[in-house]
Amino acid sequence: MADETGAAVPATRSRALRRRSFLAATGVAASFPLIRRTAQAAENQIILGCSIPLSGPAAPTGITTQRTIDHALEQINAKGIMIGGAKYTIVAQYYDNKYIPAEAVTVVEKMLSDGVRYLFSSGSGNSVPVVEKTTAMKCIQLSGASGKDHLTNPKFPFSFRVQPCNETAYAVYPWMKTTYPDVKRIANIGPSDEAGFTETADRRMLAAKYGYTSGANEFFKRGAMDFYPVATRLAQDKPDLIDFGGTIGRDQGLAVKALRELGYKGKILLGYSDAKSFVEIAGPDAAEGTIMFDTLSEPQNDAEKQLHDWWIAKHGPPMPSFAYLMWDWPFILAQAIQEAGTTDTVKVADALRKTEYHGLFGLERFGMKEVYGLDSSLTRDIPMSVIKGGKPVPLDVVAWPAGV
Amino acid sequence: MTTTFVLQIIVTGLVTGSIYMLIALGVTLLFGIMRVVNFVHGEMCMLSAFTVYYVSVSWGMPFLVGVLAAIVFSSVVAVLCQKLLFKPLNYDILTCFILGIGASFAIRSATWAIVGPEPVAIPATFPGVFVWHGVFVAKQRVFAAALCGSLAVALTAFLHYTKPGRAMRAVEQDREAALLMGINPESVYVTVFVISAILAAIGGAMLGTLFGADPEMGADPLLKSFIIVQIGGMGSVLGTIIAGLAIGLSDSITGTVFGGELAFIFDFAILMIFLIVRPRGLFGYDV
Repeated sequence: MADETGAAVPATRSRALRRRSFLAATGVAASFPLIRRTAQAAENQIILGCSIPLSGPAAPTGITTQRTIDHALEQINAKGIMIGGAKYTIVAQYYDNKYIPAEAVTVVEKMLSDGVRYLFSSGSGNSVPVVEKTTAMKCIQLSGASGKDHLTNPKFPFSFRVQPCNETAYAVYPWMKTTYPDVKRIANIGPSDEAGFTETADRRMLAAKYGYTSGANEFFKRGAMDFYPVATRLAQDKPDLIDFGGTIGRDQGLAVKALRELGYKGKILLGYSDAKSFVEIAGPDAAEGTIMFDTLSEPQNDAEKQLHDWWIAKHGPPMPSFAYLMWDWPFILAQAIQEAGTTDTVKVADALRKTEYHGLFGLERFGMKEVYGLDSSLTRDIPMSVIKGGKPVPLDVVAWPAGV
Repeated sequence: MTTTFVLQIIVTGLVTGSIYMLIALGVTLLFGIMRVVNFVHGEMCMLSAFTVYYVSVSWGMPFLVGVLAAIVFSSVVAVLCQKLLFKPLNYDILTCFILGIGASFAIRSATWAIVGPEPVAIPATFPGVFVWHGVFVAKQRVFAAALCGSLAVALTAFLHYTKPGRAMRAVEQDREAALLMGINPESVYVTVFVISAILAAIGGAMLGTLFGADPEMGADPLLKSFIIVQIGGMGSVLGTIIAGLAIGLSDSITGTVFGGELAFIFDFAILMIFLIVRPRGLFGYDV
């Protein structure tokens, strides 16, 4: 063994150098993004690339999404998608974006170079940075994300948003005006990223449209632990209602807990939530009275009950409410491909805009041309519930407003 | 800005800072005595929070039993890390640093696989809120701050007034001289790892009662700990106590006055100023 100068290196030092190199390589490898691939394309298979958070603070939603998509595809593939007499199936490939935009760009670029032309992307921070790339490749991008016109506008005809996000406010705000007439001043809180900014922008715009006074507008770092500082600012503003907009997961519970501990007595509106987990983190007292949009408390019909029962049997309780939100869109995609009669993404994109699907939430279709310039954002009824006695109780189902 | 508002900011900052301080004390102790930067420290906080959750929530045992179980579990993990990871590397700072990062990822990933994705909550030992002249603070936060403050004082007393504590300081000052005085550095190292683990366990348990537990929860306190230890001075207990409270106050002031997303920026700004102006921190020494 010799070093760079040709001089002999003692065996012990050589071993130490090798050991260090090995350890360094191990450490570096451990920090690389975890990429999970489950399948390769075969004949009559449609690959659905999924850029979702499978680790990191947003992993609960990512893992729920993965499990739900897998089960939906089991059902879709059992019947198959018939195109010209041939049976096609959809195969999902999962990539961990860790809810970090740079990771999302990397995994989506990898998918596109591998020939993936159907993509599901979770989170607007991860979806907006890739939409120009997917558009250029004529790849259909289905995003479970807010991001409003940054994702859905005529420049991006292959981009669809499969979960009503900031748009829920178009339905919820007029409903709130009649249901809670005592609410006059609304403050907002959201994560300091694409989702938080776009959600808050729409909600404040709609609050003004419906005659509310806009109060404090606060942002926080997603995954933060201590919400006392931001909650102090909100509580000082003394709003009648605080709209949590794009705040999701554990952040909801911790922020509500901090607000109540700091003496805030007003109403709280939040959504995209797993109600049980939210109540656990916030505590039953703090969570009491929280109004939840687009959050199913318990199964309300046979289809929801079937999904619920499958989840409990397969993964055990509790079933995260978020699974309901991720259930229908794979079926909508399958129906659109079937109706297009081809896997050509140009024709499938056109078919998606015309597809009407009766799912867990009733009639679902891509709409909002009046707002975004084309029908690319999923519209449907919005279930409302409220926390009572530590449990979510169904409150109402808000119909999608006409003309939106 | 009212007096109540200012008091609220100060109380919030001191309470949060005291928990960060306790966790950072474990980091500075390991570095001060052994020159080991332990990346697993944050994961021990996380593992402790989950231990408390399973023992006191899932199994219905008293909270104190949960904390004791967390201390035992965390200590076992710490000793295993010391014997199996750091000792074979002769506590070399660089290799321990790299290995610690890998071990941290491994523990976090394993926890994901075992406990699943959902965050869990540990009910407060002291539910309710204190209200004093319009200043609100949860009783659990006051309890956590008091406990962390008491442990910091106890640690200082232990290091200065007990035989094992003096032995630890002797090894820190001169390992060979301590060896000549009959002190076995290896047994001191085990003690240091165990004390560090106890601090992580109690800090993790307190964090769990305030913010819930999830596999990622160790990352934030670990990062704060490194900032605190660097500002306080590597290996300085007093520096860590002061810097911990200062960072808590800084987070509270910047978060409340300028907005939540700016707190970390200010932390790093303070750290950068220290690295430029006084790289050894408040009471540390040059590394």
